[in-house]
Amino acid sequence: MPKLERSEWYDLSRDMNWQFKYVRDTEVFPEALSESKGIPPQAWWNWDEPYKISYRDYVKNQAEKESGVYSVRSALARSGFFDNLDPGWKAAIIAHYGVFAMPEYLATFGEARMGRFGRAAAWRNMALFGTLDEIRHSQLQFSFPHALLNREPRFDWAHKAFHTNQWGAIALRHLFDDMLTANDAVSMAIQLTFVIETGFTNLHFLGLAADAMETGDVEFSTLISSIQTDEARHAQQGEPTLRLLMEHGKKAEAQRLIDVMFWRGWRAFALLTGPAMDYYTPLAHRRLSFKEFMLEWIIKQFNDQFRDFGLERPWYWDLFLQELDWLHHALHLGLWFKRPTLWWNPDAGVSVEEREWLEAKYPGWHDRFGTYWHTIAENLRQGNVGLTHQETLLVVCNMCQITVCSPAVGAPPRQVIHDGRVYTFCSEPCQWIFEQNPARYAGHLSIIDRFLAGHIQPPDMAGLLAYMGLSPAEQGTDAMNYSWAFELPQAAVKSVA
Amino acid sequence: MAVVPLQAVFRGDFVTLLVLVDDEDTMEVVADKIAYHVINRRLPPQDAAMRVQYNHRVLSPDQTVSQAGILPMSFVEVFYDARERSHAGMDCRSFPRHPLER
Repeated sequence: MPKLERSEWYDLSRDMNWQFKYVRDTEVFPEALSESKGIPPQAWWNWDEPYKISYRDYVKNQAEKESGVYSVRSALARSGFFDNLDPGWKAAIIAHYGVFAMPEYLATFGEARMGRFGRAAAWRNMALFGTLDEIRHSQLQFSFPHALLNREPRFDWAHKAFHTNQWGAIALRHLFDDMLTANDAVSMAIQLTFVIETGFTNLHFLGLAADAMETGDVEFSTLISSIQTDEARHAQQGEPTLRLLMEHGKKAEAQRLIDVMFWRGWRAFALLTGPAMDYYTPLAHRRLSFKEFMLEWIIKQFNDQFRDFGLERPWYWDLFLQELDWLHHALHLGLWFKRPTLWWNPDAGVSVEEREWLEAKYPGWHDRFGTYWHTIAENLRQGNVGLTHQETLLVVCNMCQITVCSPAVGAPPRQVIHDGRVYTFCSEPCQWIFEQNPARYAGHLSIIDRFLAGHIQPPDMAGLLAYMGLSPAEQGTDAMNYSWAFELPQAAVKSVA
Repeated sequence: MAVVPLQAVFRGDFVTLLVLVDDEDTMEVVADKIAYHVINRRLPPQDAAMRVQYNHRVLSPDQTVSQAGILPMSFVEVFYDARERSHAGMDCRSFPRHPLER
């Protein structure tokens, strides 16, 4: 008996949609978890995606991927490769695991919610694979750093970070709760898979894998490449969902969902990826600056998608483009100044050569940021290391939970009184996101709110570091042990020679 | 005596700081407390008086936090006034608004 081609049986076997007779539609798909946006139940049955993978093929593919990535790890485990990596790159991957491993696990909740409350069988089927993908990604990103614990105990933060009150972990929990664990299926398809996965992380992982290979970190490159192939598939849940919203006149709602999460994604990206690309990655291995990467990959793709779907660019687009020139430089400076509050050693990344590179990539960098680093380097040369630390908290935004940068390079903080409480926002879009749904966000306490409410005792830096779960051995310090501050400029070196 | 947390920026710095002051602190003391976290750390000192600006108004150096009506978590900006080194009680109209101030 001849076998049928997959195309002849796939849709029939997958699309188990039916009209409910014994229960109401709202009982099967509660709005709080599913959010139909007013689109009729049967209209969702037109949802479709291009991959059309069978479970059998899925398991076969994933087994091969797992075999490949673990065999690379096994081969490298004996090589001691980690010890030979650049200190800046080590910082990037130690930070990466703390930031990404647990969100991958949280993403299983998100995918599983779409797998249950997605409005079409085709979507639920795709989300089931997505759920399995995210379990694999979280296991990989716990397993790999675990194997490196004997080289660097702070790889423990892959698991630990999200269970602490470290300020960055608070920011990331706020973001991923909004995007994943406290989101409905439709909003998640737009915000997680269309905006974050298709728009940011899929491209970011491609670049990160290439950077890792360039830097000699074959293990990390293999890991990220393996994850990226899954992301490319399950991220496809966003487009058909968006298409349905557009076809049913829900453009404004789709646009709002995108505008909210694009901004939130951008803030996190600027904080984490910006410093990693422009300061932590060894200069010889940098292919693109963070701004060039954003312009050539992220923004180009978003522009194409906005055009293809008949969407508008987010209303804050001009502000976003302006921030490409300065925000991550300011955030990097803040990260470095409060390095004891990090679980990695940030690389200042401002040697003479690196400063020249920064000025070439960001004209005006010397005048805007180089002067700060000049004062810092002078303090280090004079032995005033204490002056290179921050002795008070940096104010954070009540939306993105990230440091509020000053009027010198941006806008003054925006303050809003809601139900008698003062909220501080770093930017107009963060304030706008809050005002879209104050009840969703109003109860959250930032690290500043917690400090002022007396949650942090004693109320000083020692108490703060203990509150964040950072023992002295875990607290970050300069990745290069300040050697960059003592190097002579090239001109001086030549004259000495 | 009561602690008043402020959101503070020293003009020319890159970040907003949380600085705890006392409601009986004069603006001269407030400026010193904020400058402690910035001057010689990221910005060089200048031979000029420091002033505190609050709600677009430059406050007198001998005015206290409570007299100025500064509430907890208010935003203040400190800056070097190269033109006025000892004069108190300046009118805000004598100062141009910060170009990036709303």
